[in-house]
Amino acid sequence: MTQTQHTNRPRGGSSEPLLSVRDLRVTFQRQGEEEFHAVDGVSFDVRPGQTVGLVGESGCGKSVTSLAIMGLLPGRGNRVSGSAIFDGEDLLTLSPAAMRDRRGSEIAMIFQDPLSSLNPVISIGRQVTEVMERHQGLSRKQATPKAVELLERVGIPDPKARLLNYPHQLSGGMRQRALIAMALACNPRLLIADEPTTALDVTIQAQILALLKELVVDTGTALVMITHDLGVVAGLCDEVNVLYGGKVVERGGRHGLFRDPRHPYTVGLLNSIPRLDAARGEKLSPVPGSVADNLPWTSACAFAPRCSQVVDACTRETPQWEGDQVVGHRCFNPMGGTR
Amino acid sequence: MTQTSESSSDATSDGTDVLVEASDLEVYFPIKSGIIFDRTVGHVRAVDGVDLTIHRGETYGLVGESGCGKSTLGKAILNLEPPTAGSVVFDGTDIASLKGEDLRRERKRFQMVFQDPMSSLDPRQTVENLLLEGMRAHGLDTDKDATRARLRELMSSVGLPVAALSKYPHEFSGGQRQRIGIARALSVGPDLIVADEPVSALDVSIQAQVINLLQDLQDELGLTYLVVAHDLAVVRHISDRIGVMYLGGLVEESDGAELYDVPLHPYTRALMSAVPVPDPQVEDSREQILLTGDLPSPANPPSGCRFHTRCPWKQETLCDTERPQLRVVEVDGASASHRVACHYAEQVASGEIQPHQVEAVSVESGFTGPVDGPDAPPEAYVGV
Repeated sequence: MTQTQHTNRPRGGSSEPLLSVRDLRVTFQRQGEEEFHAVDGVSFDVRPGQTVGLVGESGCGKSVTSLAIMGLLPGRGNRVSGSAIFDGEDLLTLSPAAMRDRRGSEIAMIFQDPLSSLNPVISIGRQVTEVMERHQGLSRKQATPKAVELLERVGIPDPKARLLNYPHQLSGGMRQRALIAMALACNPRLLIADEPTTALDVTIQAQILALLKELVVDTGTALVMITHDLGVVAGLCDEVNVLYGGKVVERGGRHGLFRDPRHPYTVGLLNSIPRLDAARGEKLSPVPGSVADNLPWTSACAFAPRCSQVVDACTRETPQWEGDQVVGHRCFNPMGGTR
Repeated sequence: MTQTSESSSDATSDGTDVLVEASDLEVYFPIKSGIIFDRTVGHVRAVDGVDLTIHRGETYGLVGESGCGKSTLGKAILNLEPPTAGSVVFDGTDIASLKGEDLRRERKRFQMVFQDPMSSLDPRQTVENLLLEGMRAHGLDTDKDATRARLRELMSSVGLPVAALSKYPHEFSGGQRQRIGIARALSVGPDLIVADEPVSALDVSIQAQVINLLQDLQDELGLTYLVVAHDLAVVRHISDRIGVMYLGGLVEESDGAELYDVPLHPYTRALMSAVPVPDPQVEDSREQILLTGDLPSPANPPSGCRFHTRCPWKQETLCDTERPQLRVVEVDGASASHRVACHYAEQVASGEIQPHQVEAVSVESGFTGPVDGPDAPPEAYVGV
């Protein structure tokens, strides 16, 4: 691959992908209702030491993508197809037992809401050591000093005392740190963070993001960052995938994508955010309408009803992916075009 | 609405006409203990001595993190949360001392828009009934035709179709529900609207639509806003003046633009540097001030300056002994309306005092949550 010569291409593109998702589809089916394609052919690669962002608004399929990769979707009512090759194995076809061995040890996940993802009646220490007991065969005695180390590493003051605390005794930021400590317990090679800072205050968010950034640099862990916040992406991700209606509509290195967004949805998202460093008094130009106005991807571009750049083809054909696995977009009438 | 346009006509654009003046406002919540006797063992000082002036026709933005008391302050100004001490003078009347029927009658002049549009709209009432309830309570529903016209006008001003009047809240998306919440606040023709996190539960593209709507309505109706939010970028975008709160008190107050150019309080600086900017170049080059630790408990606030336990600019003297008051400082670029509560604001601004490392202190467990629910950032984004 020769992508490094282009400045808008993400760094870390030379090594083999650690996780390679191809044509992932998740369909939900409820009795008597039409099928709903939550994820509709998503493909992306994650390389060791790289941070890949999945960005989009509610209902774009970003969380379902992560749950499908982790094998955490409910057993009934959904159909998953495609492949997610992790280290030569397809995670989607692994047996539940084999998947359990990998989850928490080689692949770990950080969830959005730390209060509902921690067990309220088990102490923090017990929850952190449990992961090591399960995957590394350590006894609780052996695991405890490691748990203290982990809590210290994620920036929890007085970690020894915190081991005995229950989740409700910690603040939101501390809970999220405890959750990150659990995810890191077995030195995972891939970390999936699903909106890890959305429930937190900005100053705490900055602390957590700095911590994640440091981890990726120090340990070479690959990070998949799922968020709705383009600001978070701008500071953290090497490669950005913008999702809309279950499909990746644009992908690029973070510098390229923010400097020269091609898809009208990416442009619309960027224009919707009030910026702290912009001149005051400027009107925002939001994307009109809502996600409920989507057209089906099978016969049109889902974004067409809300798009400012709409042409005839948009409502008649499915736009195809223009580009490759590193940079590209899915649009008949893209904006910009200097790259 | 006629009432609003009348009052807006005498509003001066330079903002000398004061609409709300809160002075020395305190809201304490008792902490109870004991099984047989409900003993009060302490107080959560949600709002602890705040002076606030809102001019007619302006947007005042109140920003701060969960638990800083900003929502409680917003409610105290409307007397939805009776203040423990202090006064709130609204257009000449002290609302804080009003009670019963007098207060109820006065309420049509100040309304509130809540964060979560789903839980603040009655699921069993149609939009029409939701809007009519307030109008009836204030005797504005006298003529059937006029009411009909007024409802139609309300719907069009918040950008909803008239057909929506006969629907129920669950039939709308998050952004549309927030529009209904705004229409309900407007239905009685208020002068002041307190909006508590009006957009934080919405997706970014919908967020921008609602922000624009609020601005359009202000231009059209001459409304005065008090916007309470945790998102500094949103607050700065819509506010003429901004107050930054930390642990129950205002630490800095300034014009919107100036606050970003010349932040004086160390907490404001940290807050500003923590807000992610959607531009990789800015993100890579700017300096971040990372605060350590969490917000101390408002039940047991630190002595002296509330921020001294986390402040990277903390000095040996004054900071931990004396609580700084809001004052005007002489710093390049700071105007006379820019006030800051920091003993060393001049030295911090000139670079005479340099930031240093701060050890994270464990916050006393037990009370860690926000002082009251709605000001926490959303746990889940409301779908569209």
